[in-house]
Amino acid sequence: MTHPPLSPGRAGGARHLVARQCCALLLALLWGGCLPGRGQPALRPAPVPKHPARLAAPAARAAAGRTRVQYAKGFTIAYVGNYKVISILSPFEQKTTAARYLLVPRGTARPAGYPDCRVIETPIRSLVAMSSMHIALADFLGAADVLVGVGDLKYASAPRVRQRIAAGQIFEAGLGKQLNNELLISRHPDLVMTTGWPGEGLNTFQTLSAAGVPVMINSEWVETTPLARAEWVKVLAALLNKEALVNEQFGRVARAYQRLAALAQTAVRHPSVVVGMPFKDVWYVPDANSYMARFLRDAGAAYHWDRTTSPSGSLALGFEAVAPVALAAEYWLHTGSLTSKTGLLAQDARYAAFASVKAGRVFNNNRRTNAQGANDYWESGALRPDLVLADLIRILHPELLPRGALHYYQPLR
Amino acid sequence: MITAQHPAGAEVQAPQAARRPVGWLLALAALVAVAFVLDVALGPVRIPLPAVMRLLLGHGGPHDTAAAFIVNQIRLPKALTALVVGMGLAVSGLQMQTLFRNPLAGPSVLGLTAGAGLGVALVMLAGGSAAGGFAVRQLGLSGSWALVLAATTGAALVLLLVLALSVRVRDNAVMLIVGLMIASVTGAVVSLWQYFSAPEQIQEYLLWTFGALGGVTGTHLAVLSTVVLAGLGLAFASAKPLNALLLGENYARSLGLNVRASRTLLIASTSLLAGGITAFCGPIGFVGIAVPHLTRALLRTADHRVLLPGASLVGAALVLACDCLAQLPGSQTALPINVVTSLLGAPVVLWVVLRGRNIRSAHA
Repeated sequence: MTHPPLSPGRAGGARHLVARQCCALLLALLWGGCLPGRGQPALRPAPVPKHPARLAAPAARAAAGRTRVQYAKGFTIAYVGNYKVISILSPFEQKTTAARYLLVPRGTARPAGYPDCRVIETPIRSLVAMSSMHIALADFLGAADVLVGVGDLKYASAPRVRQRIAAGQIFEAGLGKQLNNELLISRHPDLVMTTGWPGEGLNTFQTLSAAGVPVMINSEWVETTPLARAEWVKVLAALLNKEALVNEQFGRVARAYQRLAALAQTAVRHPSVVVGMPFKDVWYVPDANSYMARFLRDAGAAYHWDRTTSPSGSLALGFEAVAPVALAAEYWLHTGSLTSKTGLLAQDARYAAFASVKAGRVFNNNRRTNAQGANDYWESGALRPDLVLADLIRILHPELLPRGALHYYQPLR
Repeated sequence: MITAQHPAGAEVQAPQAARRPVGWLLALAALVAVAFVLDVALGPVRIPLPAVMRLLLGHGGPHDTAAAFIVNQIRLPKALTALVVGMGLAVSGLQMQTLFRNPLAGPSVLGLTAGAGLGVALVMLAGGSAAGGFAVRQLGLSGSWALVLAATTGAALVLLLVLALSVRVRDNAVMLIVGLMIASVTGAVVSLWQYFSAPEQIQEYLLWTFGALGGVTGTHLAVLSTVVLAGLGLAFASAKPLNALLLGENYARSLGLNVRASRTLLIASTSLLAGGITAFCGPIGFVGIAVPHLTRALLRTADHRVLLPGASLVGAALVLACDCLAQLPGSQTALPINVVTSLLGAPVVLWVVLRGRNIRSAHA
């Protein structure tokens, strides 16, 4: 399978399909705009301070308490006075705003205007995270203790979160979109963060909204680059008033990523790579606009479908159509849940003919899978594209990163 | 629905049918051969026919690695699977229609396929909730055997249930409703499992339900062929009892037929065919219902000694042709075989029905 665009929390297959369909429109909009930092500020409305006088006074403090979106196209954060406006954008619909949230300091009255905004008091003290990516967001900001509920107790890798689960401090909040409304209303968290299609609005969660439980739909899967995906951590940072921390930590990740990508571009050879696994007749491969293709590009790999785009973000190809590429590819990445070559050949003996299998160059992203079956690649990996890229470079160009071990990946033995 | 008032029965039709159908059967066999070659020759990757022939005979050059892999490892096993699947599904459908004396009967309508699906869901989905199932899924090869076993058992259990009820329920229409209800219940159980399963497992199950002829290679193909051949053997051995059953159970009994034994034979054969095929290739719809009607219309006979080989040939040709269409040259994507069989099958059956308007008389 290819990467699901959603982390494998309780995302739901239907959502997966919607996500794929939505990407059709995304292509038209984002084609050619993949390079981070280019032309981005124009897309975001500049924050309009209503009280310039109050802002100007503690300039240094204000700058430290702010963060700027550099890569992501799916949300904006505007600082207005002592409150913040987070807009979740719907890139499929000409960048219209799908939902707006007004973040006000706890105990402050709701400011005038913004009739369409949901108000969330900051910093949030309790969070329910419906996907494993959201667990990683909290953990990345050192805020695992804010987590009081998750979608599925099985799907958590972060040690601090597992501790809290073991201590009974985290409850299971429901499956996919089927949130356990009664439980959520009785626990009354400061925010429920779920994943979904940006355009759907909050109608799905009317019951919770009516009961005063704010729901935020994160749509990090609309992003087409690994850094843009990881940058969604800034949404949670704004909710936790941890802007200074996120600027530092995400900045470090982004710089490490850029450095590694620059390093990989010095590679003389670009080894060919095939990704994913076929199921019977179908082999879903990531298309040119997927973040996986971006990873491969940045890691200095030659990817056969690097110019092929598809409305769904991945290409559903017949086994025969992939076979000539897979036979010759030097490396084979992401082989489902498999950990051994024996298991691979047991699934289909024909894989033995692949050059990658013959040379022992099959790598899977499941080194950090815990006893429950949760794979940390989908959790912390979403926030650490630098570590993922380093792994890919170690696999494809060992000479460039001679020291250090693989973090998320492991060879199939 | 079906009246057993046909005066002639098999005895009268058989000699007259025996003359004409031989030519028909030969023609059908030739059609299957052509469809088979086409299926191996066509695909997303263009390989010229002479090269395909050379590769099939094992005379590939050093530059033909990819082409040889595609022809011998992908297309040939797939065409063989299509052949076996077409024969098996058509014959199981024919048996069901005669056994239940109902032109709408077929492995999928009577809940057989749903039963097999329940078995597969048990292995694929329940695996996520029960710790043991996770181990089953990790077994790889043995895991796929578990899948086959589960599907065959599921199909057999549903068929036994349908048959046990059919002893009490004499009305064929009621029987059909019973079958549909069983399918509905098993479907609901599968849905429930899906609801509580991880997205990746659901996707795997969903892809399974689309049906696929690819991916059945090596040992799997050998087992599938053995199972289907065994099922076909049992089916061909039951040609005479089937002819007798056409006239109703009482009449068959008066002819000296051990109805109970014949029924058991038919159940065993159909479970092997439908269960085995569904296990390896997923629920491939329509062939089981459509092919028997097509065959009766073509051969104009009710004699199962002719119908059984006829239906298996028509079934094989139809599935091979559908597989050709599913992987049209120039298209990189393979359509799920289920989509093609239904898209192609429904209009064909409609045409036959509207043209002849004698589906009942053709059946009885």
